[in-house]
Amino acid sequence: MKNLLLLAVVALLALTPAFAQNEKYLQAMTAALQTFQQQTSGEPDAAAMQELANRFERIGAAEPNEWLPRYYAAYAYGTLGFSGDNLRTKDQYLDKADALLKEAERIPSQQADELAVMKAYITQARLAADPMSRWQTYGAQFGEYLAIAKKSNANNPRIYYLEGTNLFYTPEEYGGGKKAAKPLFEKAMEKYAHFQPASTLHPQWGKEHTRWFMEQCNQ
Amino acid sequence: MKLLYVLLLIGLATTTQAQTLVSGKVTDRKGHALPGANVFLKGTYDGTTTDTLGIFRFSTFEKDSATVAVSFVGYEGFEQKIRLLGREVPLVIKLAEAASELNTVVITAGAFEASDEKRMAMLKPLDIVTTAGAAADITGAMQFLPGAQRVGEQEGLFVRGGSGLETKVVIDGMIVQNPFFSSLPDVQQRGRFNPFMFKGTSFSTGGYSAQYGQALSSVLLLHTTDRVSNNGLGVSLNLANAGLNYDHVGAKQSVSAVAYYGNLKPLFALVKQNVDWLRAPEFVGSSLTYRLKTTPHGLLKVYGMYSDSRLSMNTRDPGRESGQTKLDLTNRNAFVTSTYTDQWADGRWLLNTGFSYSRNADGMTFDGLGFDRFDERTQARAVLTRQLPGNSTVLFGAEVHAIRLENGVEGVLYSLQDNYSAAFVETEIYLSRQLAARLGTRAEYSSLLNRFNLAPRLSLAYKTGPYSQVALAAGQFYQNPDYRYLYLNQNLGFERADHAILNYQIIKNKRTFRIEAFYKNYAQLVREYTGQAFDANPYRFPWGRTDNAGYGYAQGFDVFWRDQKLVKNFDYWVSYSYVDSRRLFQQFEVSATPTFVSNHNASLITKYWLEKIQTSLNLTYAFTSGRPYYNPNHEYFLRDRTPPVHLVSLQASKLTSLKGNFVVLYASLDNVLNTRNVFTYRFTPDGQTRYAVGPQSYRSFFVGMQIYLSKKAKVDKADL
Repeated sequence: MKNLLLLAVVALLALTPAFAQNEKYLQAMTAALQTFQQQTSGEPDAAAMQELANRFERIGAAEPNEWLPRYYAAYAYGTLGFSGDNLRTKDQYLDKADALLKEAERIPSQQADELAVMKAYITQARLAADPMSRWQTYGAQFGEYLAIAKKSNANNPRIYYLEGTNLFYTPEEYGGGKKAAKPLFEKAMEKYAHFQPASTLHPQWGKEHTRWFMEQCNQ
Repeated sequence: MKLLYVLLLIGLATTTQAQTLVSGKVTDRKGHALPGANVFLKGTYDGTTTDTLGIFRFSTFEKDSATVAVSFVGYEGFEQKIRLLGREVPLVIKLAEAASELNTVVITAGAFEASDEKRMAMLKPLDIVTTAGAAADITGAMQFLPGAQRVGEQEGLFVRGGSGLETKVVIDGMIVQNPFFSSLPDVQQRGRFNPFMFKGTSFSTGGYSAQYGQALSSVLLLHTTDRVSNNGLGVSLNLANAGLNYDHVGAKQSVSAVAYYGNLKPLFALVKQNVDWLRAPEFVGSSLTYRLKTTPHGLLKVYGMYSDSRLSMNTRDPGRESGQTKLDLTNRNAFVTSTYTDQWADGRWLLNTGFSYSRNADGMTFDGLGFDRFDERTQARAVLTRQLPGNSTVLFGAEVHAIRLENGVEGVLYSLQDNYSAAFVETEIYLSRQLAARLGTRAEYSSLLNRFNLAPRLSLAYKTGPYSQVALAAGQFYQNPDYRYLYLNQNLGFERADHAILNYQIIKNKRTFRIEAFYKNYAQLVREYTGQAFDANPYRFPWGRTDNAGYGYAQGFDVFWRDQKLVKNFDYWVSYSYVDSRRLFQQFEVSATPTFVSNHNASLITKYWLEKIQTSLNLTYAFTSGRPYYNPNHEYFLRDRTPPVHLVSLQASKLTSLKGNFVVLYASLDNVLNTRNVFTYRFTPDGQTRYAVGPQSYRSFFVGMQIYLSKKAKVDKADL
């Protein structure tokens, strides 16, 4: 009996770090995602976004087999890539995002559609940084990434959300505008209605944004 | 049971052990605080972000030792082992700036780049296409860049005292045998290639890489696009031609097809011609591009084009009593080129290969006498590049060409065959972020000359400040003599040029300043001895005795200034080139400045984008000082000068839509002031009458449009 108890305690002690680690990951991610939600729902603050990117990156560094911290860090850097001061810093943020996604891609548990959507988002930021001279390269690449995402999971609502934003900001003369974008936001909403993330940590952003854009389209 | 307590105690001990406080400051090398840096202990969740003063502070339960890691965008990562003993660990961390295009020196001497990708480029590809006065022709636009001299009556790029033959046009590494439409007497011909095919252009005015050869003065490197952004049908309509283009983009492959028919009759009816056309040029053509992504990084590109044109004109011929000669020309030209690029080991190995074939046939008669021309070039090329740590590279490559040429002169057919091969090795070494060197050697062999040459090339660049750098380039450049000499004398050797170039440039805040000085030594140039008076007819066949005894020099400098900041949506650049050159070559009996050299070339190019009406307004002013011409009435040789040439051109393009289809409208007005420019003079054999050779037309205009019929067509100003 004594021995059995001893064995149980030893086993418990041995297991604790593993449990704790997993628990730690869940806790850290949940907390970071809460801030993430706050940050991405309003006007993003660059310093807070950088802090958030750092947080995800730290989690990623401690958890080499998790793709989600890298994915969210890339998202944060993508947002910084949109809001950066100048072309050079924007590109530096986006280079960082690309590097994080490259790491995420090598992790077996990754989701190809979500990574492709994120790549499209980063590409959109590159395009927005200097549209006049980047249209040719990044305009086409944006479409390519979304095509990859569709192939992998056509029900991912973020594909249509991004497609919609792209058209929304393209002038009407070039086939864009609110009218052209609206059906895509509608499609995204429809997909959001049925979308179930694999876990609470998995990507589920974009619904609020889509709603906002739909309102703009109706104005 | 005792043991159990001990174990539990140990377990409790690990959790109640004191935290260690890790704190400090992150700065750059100069001590400026870096807010937003990520500071953490490797492999743990412990860490934080530096505040606005670069200060960080966090606690950890880790014990003994850990590794502090710092990362911050734009800076090199930092790691340091620390001891964790429960006491506060204060750290001062200095981060080094990461290497980037902006803080690393770039080898620039001699090269003038237009690229979207490279941040050190002086221009964007779009800037070239929209230059007023260039008529959407690549070489037309290059003539306004520093280092180029404008020669109005001939095609070709005349660079720093070099002739048009001393510049080679290279597409994706492959030499283009016929970059221009067939040469006509005193008429400047356009380039054959659509500028929208290219994503980048590098115009080297000297001191270029060992990867290229057979050009004494310059190479114009054109890089074709890897992708198309348009999908669907397009229609192009203008005063000279009508065309259809179709693009189809798939996941891994894309196809672009172009077909056109052109006839200059309507244009010539509207714009008064100085040339006596008997039959206005008429042409049909087509091209097909196929791109296939074979692997994630592997790309196969095949481009093929065919064109057929015919025309008839009376050319000025001072040597005849009638003063003119009737010329008939039919041209058939085909060019196929394919390239394959791939990379391995995370981009550490890069492969570029290419194969091309070109064939050109001119059926030409002067007053019914045959002057047919035919040429054929087959070439293959492979370059393997190895990326080394710290940005350095080393590359090896080889190329082989088989060239066949035929030339009919008054019914007699001359022909020759040359097998030319070359091998080269080149390394780019970054000694530091401030200092880089490029060392290369090229070995060439020509079967026709039965000779070898070995050409060393060297470039150095040193960064003098955050925005400025100086660069130096030197090297030897060989070229086969003009094939016209080789028909009669195949004992000639390579012609040679030695270049030395010094460059300074500063790019700051959307403003660019660049100055470059050069000295060029010419040696082993072909001289022709006729024992007769100089014959100024540029189309004469060189029948005299020839050798490689010619020599000469060219020296000068050029300046470039661009300002995109002065006024919003307004962009201008100014180029000035000075060249002084003398040569003893061809039929020259004394050293003189060749007829294609003008001492001063200046140009002002402006672009204004009117956002509200989606219209771009472009203006170009170009000045070319007088050029030498041969006057048989004077004892001295080539000392007369033509008057200077002035040119003002306007161009406008508007983006609009037509029934939901995207449309680009464009209009241009060339030689707005209707200046009666003279390029050179010719004399009758008795020296009594002088003819002026000028442009094909004085003031002229052109209008056209491009319609994108696909609904998905999304085009913006970048496609203009």
